[in-house]
Amino acid sequence: MKPGFSPRGDRGGRGGRGGFGGGRGGFGDRGGFGDRGGRGGFRGGRGGGFRSPDGGGFRGRGGGRGTPRGRGGRGGRGGAGGRGGFGAGRKVLVEPHRHEGVFICRGKEDALVTKNMVVGDSVYGEKRISVEEGETKIEYRAWNPFRSKLAAAILGGVDQIHIKPGAKVMYLGAASGTTVSHVSDIVGPDGLVYAVEFSHRSGRDLLNVAKKRTNIIPIIEDARHPHKYRMLVGMVDVIFADVAQPDQTRIVALNAHNFLKNGGHFVISIKANCIDSTAAPEAVFAAEVKKMSAENMKPQEQLTLEPYERDHAVVVGIYRPPPKQKK
Amino acid sequence: MLVLFETAAGYAIFKVLDESKLQQVDSLYKEFETPEKANKIVKLKHFEKFQDTTEALAAATALVEGKIGKSLKKALKKIVAKEAHEQLAISDAKLGGVIKEKLDLSCVHSPAVAELMRCIRSQMENLITGLPPREISAMSLGLAHSLSRYKLKFSPDKVDTMIVQAISLLDDLDKELNNYIMRCREWYGWHFPELGKVVTDNLAYCKTVRKIGDRTNVSSSDLSDLLPEEIEAEVKLAAEISMGTEVSEQDIGNIRHLCDQVIEITDYRAQLYDYLKNRMMAIAPNLTVMVGELVGARLISHAGSLLNLAKHPASTVQILGAEKALFRALKTRKDTPKYGLIYHASLVGQTTAKNKGKISRMLAAKASLAIRYDALGEDTNAEMGAENRAKLEARLRQLEEKGIRRISGTGKAMAKSDKYQHKSEVRMYDPSGDSTIPSTSKKRKFEEVEEEEEEEPVTPVVKMKKPKKEPVTEEEEAETSAAAEETPKKKKKKKKDKKADDETEEPKEEEEELAVTESSEKKKKKKKKKVKEEEEDDD
Repeated sequence: MKPGFSPRGDRGGRGGRGGFGGGRGGFGDRGGFGDRGGRGGFRGGRGGGFRSPDGGGFRGRGGGRGTPRGRGGRGGRGGAGGRGGFGAGRKVLVEPHRHEGVFICRGKEDALVTKNMVVGDSVYGEKRISVEEGETKIEYRAWNPFRSKLAAAILGGVDQIHIKPGAKVMYLGAASGTTVSHVSDIVGPDGLVYAVEFSHRSGRDLLNVAKKRTNIIPIIEDARHPHKYRMLVGMVDVIFADVAQPDQTRIVALNAHNFLKNGGHFVISIKANCIDSTAAPEAVFAAEVKKMSAENMKPQEQLTLEPYERDHAVVVGIYRPPPKQKK
Repeated sequence: MLVLFETAAGYAIFKVLDESKLQQVDSLYKEFETPEKANKIVKLKHFEKFQDTTEALAAATALVEGKIGKSLKKALKKIVAKEAHEQLAISDAKLGGVIKEKLDLSCVHSPAVAELMRCIRSQMENLITGLPPREISAMSLGLAHSLSRYKLKFSPDKVDTMIVQAISLLDDLDKELNNYIMRCREWYGWHFPELGKVVTDNLAYCKTVRKIGDRTNVSSSDLSDLLPEEIEAEVKLAAEISMGTEVSEQDIGNIRHLCDQVIEITDYRAQLYDYLKNRMMAIAPNLTVMVGELVGARLISHAGSLLNLAKHPASTVQILGAEKALFRALKTRKDTPKYGLIYHASLVGQTTAKNKGKISRMLAAKASLAIRYDALGEDTNAEMGAENRAKLEARLRQLEEKGIRRISGTGKAMAKSDKYQHKSEVRMYDPSGDSTIPSTSKKRKFEEVEEEEEEEPVTPVVKMKKPKKEPVTEEEEAETSAAAEETPKKKKKKKKDKKADDETEEPKEEEEELAVTESSEKKKKKKKKKVKEEEEDDD
């Protein structure tokens, strides 16, 4: 009952509604409105208190991040029609990125975008940019590197993501389908994304994303037991894994043994804290890479996601590389 | 050898034409590089197509659970009639066991089979003839959607979800109620500040405010049903000499509305609490008896579901909710926390601080048994929990009263040894404790070396000191040898008397001081580190 008792004001909700690139909001679409923190058992990550109540098994990654960082400061600018950022009438230029299927939008600030497969639909409240090229109108969706590790890896300058138009991708740890929607944009109507997610809560959101995008095959199942979804999945070209589990290399290997074609690629995002919170991140990454080599998965590239995520690394590699030609 | 291969469109049964190729697991994929080559190894024997998605869904759910569905049975029966002697390669060992039991077909599951399945999958579209690839992908998309929907619809832990949401709401309500009440007191305090001091109970305060409105009405209103007599009198007295400002009718109206809200929410909270109690008693009776419904519900909410909680070991249950402290302790190699959510259980609460850790460990052990009993056991009474709770309470009593009364058994023997003994003469003074220099333990020395390395500016001082005290220690040794037979106590007295010995003590004290400052510096450093870490965590 202090005289100066003040209201709590805004609770630091979602960061970037107005401007582009708000950072991870407090309770965005990832995770629900429950009070518990994080995934199964003790793997509590950082992030705000509003997370999905059902942990256990594996889920994409925990909840949102507490504070919006990076470019989130531009929130609330709001342009014409409340859209802000790349509002109507603003001159923007979209040019292809080095990675096929990914584009860069040159405006006041550059942004990573993908071509929207479902025109007029925003999956998780991200900005959309329409570009008219002659008669046809193409829509792009902004891809926030603070919310997606794949986007962070691309902006970090990863050499190859192996996810390209027409590719068949298995996405382990699909969570609510935010990154999955962008992957589905990249692979296009000829490609396929098998999105595996264990949590029922985020599975619900994933299912809603998959409803509108026919190239996503949603699988609500534990990725530790690939035989449970064997009848749904064919051979794939790439496995992307973002499962944040202590045994994630084993999980990826299990799936690779079943579904990844020879010479196929894997992209694994490793969160050091989820594997061993006491060891140094570099040591954890090294140990994981070693584990991969033992499973016939040959790592080719390792990259930290530094400005976007702390103590994260992305490892890209090839599964059962074709034997070298004898000279 | 036959191979059972499941697809979204139906069951395919292949016959392996060249079994010798199967032995070379590592190079098997070469035989499947082209459709022509693959057709030489395996041949489609039978394809049991699903008629529609409902059939596919039934088959898929059966497969996930490792059971034989209707259509699979049909397909296998056809095979059994023809080639019963053949082995059946299968990708799920559990399903293989069931098939063997039901249909008496010998099944194999091995790494070679897994590799074969992989190869068949890679050439699936070419091997399964008469089925356009478009149809397979359409079927798998449809099946995936219906399977996922089915899973979400019949989620096994939906009852737990109710508890998880209820306890979360309860916490939110508490927080919000507290806020509202603070606002209410703050607001109405401008008009009638004395009331806040007199009526401390929140609900009574709100009810009173709602009833009296403007403070001039106090004298005319009857508060006997809300407040005890003496407090009512006090309120009436305070209202006459109140120093609060005047507020308009409209302001009072709004404050009253806020009070209505508080009362309403309080009612709702009570009702919600009852609901939670009932639900907890229904779902986890033993856990509820052990730790109470609130703590029990929080534990469930923390683990996600009762089944998840049942998978946690007791040591995890003990510190559930103290993750931050745990990981900080692990990182800094300090002691890990003794309790998390379980701290709020009544059993831990009634223990003295010394025994809290012990009791929380024992409670966690028993509680995790109770959780498993609740989650996986058949019967639904709380006998087991009550029994364990009684045991724990007895143990708690024993711990608290330790040494006070021992009546029988081994206690008697211990009591005997505890008999009064004249100890005053026996007490020895341990001289090793009062000096930190040379003759201390190895570990200590090692630490000192480290410190010296760390803080170089300090080292010269220490080294300066060392030569100074060397003659002194020699002196001391000489003296001790002379007074070898005397008790150390006497020796100390002697020291005080002797002038020479005074000198010995002074440098020692200095040394000690030095050591103390060093260690405190170290502590500061650690603290700084901690602060840094916390800052990082907050980022």
